Amino acid sequence: MVLEHQPIPFLTWLLGLPWSENSAFLESALFRFILTGFAVSVLALVVGYLIALVRNGPLKAGDITYRVIVNGIAELFRTSARRVWAIARLSIKETLRRRVLVALAIYIIILLFAGWFLQTGYREPGKLFFSFVLTATTYLVLMIALLVSAFSLPNDFKSKTIYTVVTKPVRASDIVLGRILGFTIVGTVLLAIMAVCGAAFVWRMLDHTHAIQLDSLENVVDASGKVVGKKGRTTTNMQHFHEVEIYPDGTGKAASTNEHEHQITSETRGGDTVYTLSGPEGLLRARVPYYGSLHFLDRKGVDVAKGVSVGSEWTYRSFIEGGTPAAAIWTFSNINEQTLGTDEKGAQILPLELVVRVFRTFKGNIEKGIQGVAQLRNPDNKTIKSEPWTFTAKDASINQFPWSRKLNDADNKPIDLLKDLVTEDGRVEVVVQCLDHAQYYGFAQPDCYIRLPDGSPLWNFVKAQVSIWIQMVLVISIGVTCSTLVNAPVAMMFTIAFITLGFFRQFFVDVAIGKQVGGGPLESLYRIVTQMNQTSPLPEGFGTQLISSIDIVLKMMMQSVTYILPDFRSFSTVDYVAYGYNIPMNQLAQDLIVCGTYVLGLFIIGYFLLRTREVAK
Amino acid sequence: MAGETVIETRALSKTYRDFWGRPKVRALKALDLEIKQGEIFGLLGPNGSGKTTTIKLLLGLLFPTEGQALVFGKDATDVSKNQRIGYLPEESYLYRFLNAEETLDFYGRLFDIPHDVLKERIDSLIKTVGLERARKRQLKEYSKGMTRRIGLAQALINEPELILLDEPTSGLDPIGTREMKDMIIRLREQGKTVVMCSHLLADVQDVCDRIAILHQGELKELGRVDSLLTLADVTQIRAKRLPQPCIDEIQQVIARHQGELLTVEHPTTTLEELFLSIVRDSEARPGRRVVQEASSNS
Repeated sequence: MVLEHQPIPFLTWLLGLPWSENSAFLESALFRFILTGFAVSVLALVVGYLIALVRNGPLKAGDITYRVIVNGIAELFRTSARRVWAIARLSIKETLRRRVLVALAIYIIILLFAGWFLQTGYREPGKLFFSFVLTATTYLVLMIALLVSAFSLPNDFKSKTIYTVVTKPVRASDIVLGRILGFTIVGTVLLAIMAVCGAAFVWRMLDHTHAIQLDSLENVVDASGKVVGKKGRTTTNMQHFHEVEIYPDGTGKAASTNEHEHQITSETRGGDTVYTLSGPEGLLRARVPYYGSLHFLDRKGVDVAKGVSVGSEWTYRSFIEGGTPAAAIWTFSNINEQTLGTDEKGAQILPLELVVRVFRTFKGNIEKGIQGVAQLRNPDNKTIKSEPWTFTAKDASINQFPWSRKLNDADNKPIDLLKDLVTEDGRVEVVVQCLDHAQYYGFAQPDCYIRLPDGSPLWNFVKAQVSIWIQMVLVISIGVTCSTLVNAPVAMMFTIAFITLGFFRQFFVDVAIGKQVGGGPLESLYRIVTQMNQTSPLPEGFGTQLISSIDIVLKMMMQSVTYILPDFRSFSTVDYVAYGYNIPMNQLAQDLIVCGTYVLGLFIIGYFLLRTREVAK
Repeated sequence: MAGETVIETRALSKTYRDFWGRPKVRALKALDLEIKQGEIFGLLGPNGSGKTTTIKLLLGLLFPTEGQALVFGKDATDVSKNQRIGYLPEESYLYRFLNAEETLDFYGRLFDIPHDVLKERIDSLIKTVGLERARKRQLKEYSKGMTRRIGLAQALINEPELILLDEPTSGLDPIGTREMKDMIIRLREQGKTVVMCSHLLADVQDVCDRIAILHQGELKELGRVDSLLTLADVTQIRAKRLPQPCIDEIQQVIARHQGELLTVEHPTTTLEELFLSIVRDSEARPGRRVVQEASSNS
């Protein structure tokens, strides 16, 4: 799974703990929130004053601004839970009676027929079904959130029902908060129903079994001609079958195909042996990875931060050349007894997994993987290494290395993993090299991890729903806030723009800081219109100079917008569930706090917008 | 009026602006009004005269361009004054997907009325406005008259001291109109203050104690209905059982034929005539304005 930004520990993120470095707090989320909040407030104040200035002159504008702030803040504390709840209830009734449940019907119909259009030979079924269900849920829920939130308040203004509401002792804060709360409740209920239906769909699609094709079974004999078991294949169900192996005691295993296997048991009924296959094993997973840090050796064996580039524009992974001293070296820390797991026989192991991307400079035997070698090494005394573990890896495969605690060193002498390879402060290195000459392995830091005991797949699915919920609440808050100021279509467009920019935040930031080729907004428009290459310099002249100057201003404005733009893509946890990785609670907690802060900020903005707006026309 | 001042406006003005903030229409020009507790006060004027603008300014739905509107001594934009106000808008702007009970329940909750009190009040209000049989029907199924009734009920949910009614009788049949007028008079008997604006002059004449006539945003007439409508220079004689031939020489004939003289008094004009004469006068001599002191002496 691709993990471009690894979550930082919660307290480090929030408060910058530990405060051993002077600037730690200054980089924390809390400090950035305070700073951004302050900047936005000052900006709002200036804009508000300027508008009042144009309309009323400098003195009265000052008076108005002062009163708006003082009364506004005082009124903010008169928000009443009962009134908020009354407005929330109204919003719930409104959305339900506007037939928002139709969306649910659409979702269920999509699921009912999904089995037809998702027939892709049952390859990577977990990934397919989970990402389908979660993506469908996300888009549907976000769409509903967008529609209900952007349309409801403007509808109140249009039908003038707002007249009968604001002439009651209702504060603008009650209305904004009540609306957000009401829509969130409706959205939560919808999401919960979709989650239950989605889970039922995925679990049903994944659960299957096979029968053994009896005429395929043949005896396996050893060198002395003794029968040591049987082998054959299963029937084809869900568009796939397995090779089976049956041991002399009647049990057996249907070999791993399409990421899962089945256990076989047998019993004798009336002289016949009846084989039964279990449900699929390994399809539903929530791996809990423990990550290390990565550095590389180049082809001369020199320490470097990154491997070589194979020409991909995406610089997430870098590569090591086969048949040279080039290596990828992960350093794991805090390794102790608790980190170790146990294998089927109860022996202690260090369960390591490695995701390998393969880049071939010549095709070779495409069916065969590329050979590599992995070794554990003591970071302080690099001569102490484990016996090399050679493996062949296909592209994008996950390779497992259950290092046993009792193992041999490179000279075949027995050593203890914890005592000899792990340093006193708990560090150990994993060294991976590619063996095949002129072929490459590609790695990013999260590609190698120690697999801690798995989490519950169902709980992981629930956590993914929470991430969708966070995005939904954000959309609702943005929609409601926009709709306090402008009419429904504009509010919707604005919300969509906000979400879209949020999804492409990185690109937006790159344009703002000039990292993206093609220049700022005006320059790129000029290039599009004149069909000019993105990299060739602009012709000299007054016009282009003007464009560049305006772009500088626009880019500065864009840079300030990036401080308040939510990174929507980082909220999505679909990939975690689809690839079978546990969603870290740490990340979820950070996302929840970010969401809460946005709701708070948007609520205050919406409150002041609605308060300073003339309700009637 | 001896009661305390409920509404006071001081040079209240409203200029509507376009998107760019340029003045478009001067809807209300320096209105000075004072309405006391226990009054039924009528705002009269042709379409576009500033009646509804005045009501909206009093409710804080609009912000004054200049001047000030005070309700219960507080600025009209202060939300807390709404605790003591009931408002029936021109058309009942209510949520059409709610039924009568839900509507009253919703507005009641906005006043933070305790649950059991609210329940009782909803029952009695539904009975008062005669919607018992339609209490569970959604408002979108209501006729216009029924919508007015539920609109009135929601305006009274907080037992307000001041009730603002915008065209209270519009859309009501004659019986409904009568009931509405009786209701307004009953509200005064309970010591409440009612401010209403209307085009229907007969209604205003029937219920209002004092009226203000607005035209093109200016106050043209202000005073007690009875004194405004009294014609001091005309004498009216009302007679009964008069034979037809004597009508032409009525004054002498009454005595000669022993007819029964009932009353000799100063007659009143209808409000409609007064209203039309003021509008005509205003159009002929724009800019003439009434000063409150002068009119209250009349």
